[in-house]
Amino acid sequence: MAITLLFAVSALTFGAMNVLGDPLFNILGPIARDTGNPKSVKLIEKAKNDYNLDKPLPVRYGLWVSGFVRGDMGVQFSTDGQPPVTELLKERIPRTVTLLILGQLIAVLVSIPWALISASRADKFVDRLSTATTFMLVALPGFALAIILKYVFAIRLGWFPLTYRALDPLRTRLFQMLLPGFVIGLPAAAIYQRLLRTDLITTLQEDFILMARSKGVSKPRILFKHALRPSMFSFITVVGLTTGALIGGSIVVETVFRIPGIGSTLVEAVLRHDFPVVLAIVMIVATAFVLINLLIDVVYTIIDPRVHR
Amino acid sequence: MSTETPTTTEVATPAPGDAATKKTLGIGFWICIGWLLVMVFIAVFATRLPIPDPKFNFIEPGQAGPSKGPSAAHWFGTDKDARDVFARTVYGSRVSLTVGFIAIAFGMFVGGTLGILAGFFRGWIDRIFSFMFLVLLSFPSLVLAIMLTALLDRKLFTISMILGVLAVAPVGRLARATTMQYADREFVIAARSLGAKNKRIIIRELLPNVAIPMSALALLGMAVAIVAEGGLAFLGLSVERSITWGGMIQLGSDSSKTLQNQPWIAFFPIGVLFLTVFALNFAGDRVRTYFDVKEISL
Repeated sequence: MAITLLFAVSALTFGAMNVLGDPLFNILGPIARDTGNPKSVKLIEKAKNDYNLDKPLPVRYGLWVSGFVRGDMGVQFSTDGQPPVTELLKERIPRTVTLLILGQLIAVLVSIPWALISASRADKFVDRLSTATTFMLVALPGFALAIILKYVFAIRLGWFPLTYRALDPLRTRLFQMLLPGFVIGLPAAAIYQRLLRTDLITTLQEDFILMARSKGVSKPRILFKHALRPSMFSFITVVGLTTGALIGGSIVVETVFRIPGIGSTLVEAVLRHDFPVVLAIVMIVATAFVLINLLIDVVYTIIDPRVHR
Repeated sequence: MSTETPTTTEVATPAPGDAATKKTLGIGFWICIGWLLVMVFIAVFATRLPIPDPKFNFIEPGQAGPSKGPSAAHWFGTDKDARDVFARTVYGSRVSLTVGFIAIAFGMFVGGTLGILAGFFRGWIDRIFSFMFLVLLSFPSLVLAIMLTALLDRKLFTISMILGVLAVAPVGRLARATTMQYADREFVIAARSLGAKNKRIIIRELLPNVAIPMSALALLGMAVAIVAEGGLAFLGLSVERSITWGGMIQLGSDSSKTLQNQPWIAFFPIGVLFLTVFALNFAGDRVRTYFDVKEISL
């Protein structure tokens, strides 16, 4: 299933890039249209040969897939094609992955205690306030939150640096990622909190909670030991699903904080019409997304044995 | 892996006592609708409103720097080209609302049709359409939107359609699930035994029932489309040569200096965008609890 899906996704992306776009024009610029001039014709022939553009679409797709699987994502269009796409992405992917992990970590670490507090005081003032907060966080587009946090914490308070600097030592760079991590993590935390809170409230009405309570188990212990785990199923699914949305969010965050990850690279490549880079990034992201969902299914069977059939 | 789609989520129903006790839309809902109506009004009548020209440069002689803070003449201040931020915010609502509306209308029509057909006929039609939805959902939506804007042009209608394509899969899945839920119910069997054809059953019996949960999704989906358009505009990939909220926010935040010294350029459009998205989300959520829609897939 996952393989079929990836095949469909890659064929669609590759097809769209080649049918809707004009690769030759993107490599050579205006020269590609200048078929009267023998010098241009020579360049066109060379480019066609270099980029396999003279072969039929299915063949090109086959070549591209076999390259992609072996880790060779081709050469960049535009300029001199250096560095190769693989090298470029090898340098940039870790930054985005770090940012996403940091964001998810913040989201999970913030949302679980938040949901526990809300659920244990359901419909009281604290809970209502926190529901209102989640609504606001969800309604705030990523780029808006990025600018607000940047303005407050980096510009006004000066707690965090304004941008990311790729040459700084690792620890400094991680610190520079913290604020962007919050931009990604907070809206996700709001989504997780809402979901976990609802599930916790449902769990807290179960008989085994009543049992634990009548045995005199303390309230925090009931919340952590008894209620949390059975309430985590949809939480885990949504954490996985949200990863895709976070990749989208990271595009904007990377742009605001000038982090050279794959999100900002994607935007630059799109503005330059650099198809091999766009194609590689879209495929990597889609593959990661499909694999994460697969992983979620596995985790799901581990934490909930009832799924085994 | 199971044959069931790996990305399906059943989001739990609201807790008992949460919504069941009071079955009204509430005052908050109507405030939100009020704000949305104001937005629609200013978008439609932007050219007739007594506001400054959004493209005029209000440069006064003997002044340092073109950008000034909010004042009686310029309620939201002026931007780096000394243009009125308030007027631009008003005009910016046009692109946002148009894109939001066309996108979700397209998503509802295409996604709704495919979803109902898949849920009603099941079998291979269902398998093909569900697989299509799954493929669409394999891309993070902003990534797919960016890829498509790169390949197509950046006219208002094209951007709306691109964001409409993004809405197809979530809407389609909801329509499919709801249709399946109703397809075996007594009133459908009754209609069939009275001799109703498939077409009549779908339009007269199923569509009204599927339309209710979809109406909640319409408001939420419009919010998603407006945010997505804002994101594209912020990245410089939305409608060309138009005033957009995302574009204004980008202008006000492209350098830290601007953000520090003239925060109003970015923050007023952010505020209006936020209130609009919040109103759509809140109203959509109220409609959803009001009709007790069990499943969301957005």
